[in-house]
Amino acid sequence: MADYDVAIVGCGPAGMTAAIYAARANMKVLLLDKLAPGGQIVNTFEIGNYPGMEKVGGADLAISMFEHTQKLGVAFDYATVEEILDEGEEKILSCKEGQRISCRAVILATGTRPRMLGVPHELDFAGSGISWCAVCDGANYRDRDVLVLGGGNSAVEESLYLAELARRLTVVTLFDLTADPSACDKLRALPNVDVHEFYDIKEFLPGEHFTGLRAVSTKTGEELVVHADGAFEYIGLQPTTEPFGSLGILNDHGYIQADREMKTACPGIFAAGDAIEKGLRQIVTAESDGAIAAESAARYVRALTR
Amino acid sequence: MAVTVKEMDGAELERLIETGAKVLADFYSKTCGPCKMLGFVLGDVAKEVDGVEIIKVCFEENPEAVKAHGVEGYPTMILFEGGAEKARLKGLQQKPLIVSTIAG
Repeated sequence: MADYDVAIVGCGPAGMTAAIYAARANMKVLLLDKLAPGGQIVNTFEIGNYPGMEKVGGADLAISMFEHTQKLGVAFDYATVEEILDEGEEKILSCKEGQRISCRAVILATGTRPRMLGVPHELDFAGSGISWCAVCDGANYRDRDVLVLGGGNSAVEESLYLAELARRLTVVTLFDLTADPSACDKLRALPNVDVHEFYDIKEFLPGEHFTGLRAVSTKTGEELVVHADGAFEYIGLQPTTEPFGSLGILNDHGYIQADREMKTACPGIFAAGDAIEKGLRQIVTAESDGAIAAESAARYVRALTR
Repeated sequence: MAVTVKEMDGAELERLIETGAKVLADFYSKTCGPCKMLGFVLGDVAKEVDGVEIIKVCFEENPEAVKAHGVEGYPTMILFEGGAEKARLKGLQQKPLIVSTIAG
């Protein structure tokens, strides 16, 4: 006898929406997260495209969604799922914290996390010189010199935010600025901003404190050393799907392959949100995935018990 | 078991640390989403622990305390006991880790 009808791995918008829909479909639901409710939206200071709410804080929205799940009696636990054993009608989730959870269906909603550069001395300064959250740590760099690494939408948007605080902001990117052209133009026009395009970052400068980086031009081979008090990395996202590799449900980039009903190739394992292979990763699309996954999972569980 | 999460300024925090009490100080920024979520998690932590003061210190309003304790990113939790720092957790953390850190 399984402990739960549906176990949901990941407590972001996709996972929490799946929990709400599954609970309302009379499923016994367990929601798991290794950190805290919210997922990536917690890192968003203000959300401006969530229908019905002109402006809402990311953390506020996450807390509100989580409280909704709790009012519906969804069980929640802090757990890092390391492996899923597919034993046919029963799935076993093995967790780093020691839990061993059995369920009939699983919904994977583990989302994405910021990609790191993987260059020397990056880990030395992670969290104390290198940050992935401008709204968290930006205020620390008021009237100081900062770097932004990357040239996509997040990099440019966060650069515009940081440029209001920083004395000098330097953007270093492997390609050119690929964000919305009007935002790029606005950034380039700021008097305290320098943009270095087509530079490959080789290392952060070693030392007791963060002092800057060394990069090399991919066009001329010229070396560039930029000194700064801190850096913000925005070089893209990667799916948090490493524990599911053995299930044969991932594409070449590590994203989960799910069909229109959010079914994966493994019967009883469903997926939703940013971790799946899809075009648009937004809160509303994650929620849509979550609702569909919950409906499919509930249908699957009912068929097993009939 | 339960304690109350309180807000203090830097001077009040220093006086509390000097008493030797076990203190978990959460340095947060008003603009920081993970800080807000950590506040929510600490509300849950407070229901499960005893013998510790859980104190929130606003970074923007207490720059001297931030400098004195070498806080470089938000949120940062520092556990003090006997007037000295015993442990430091950077960033949003899961509840079981915070509870076990307080327990020592």
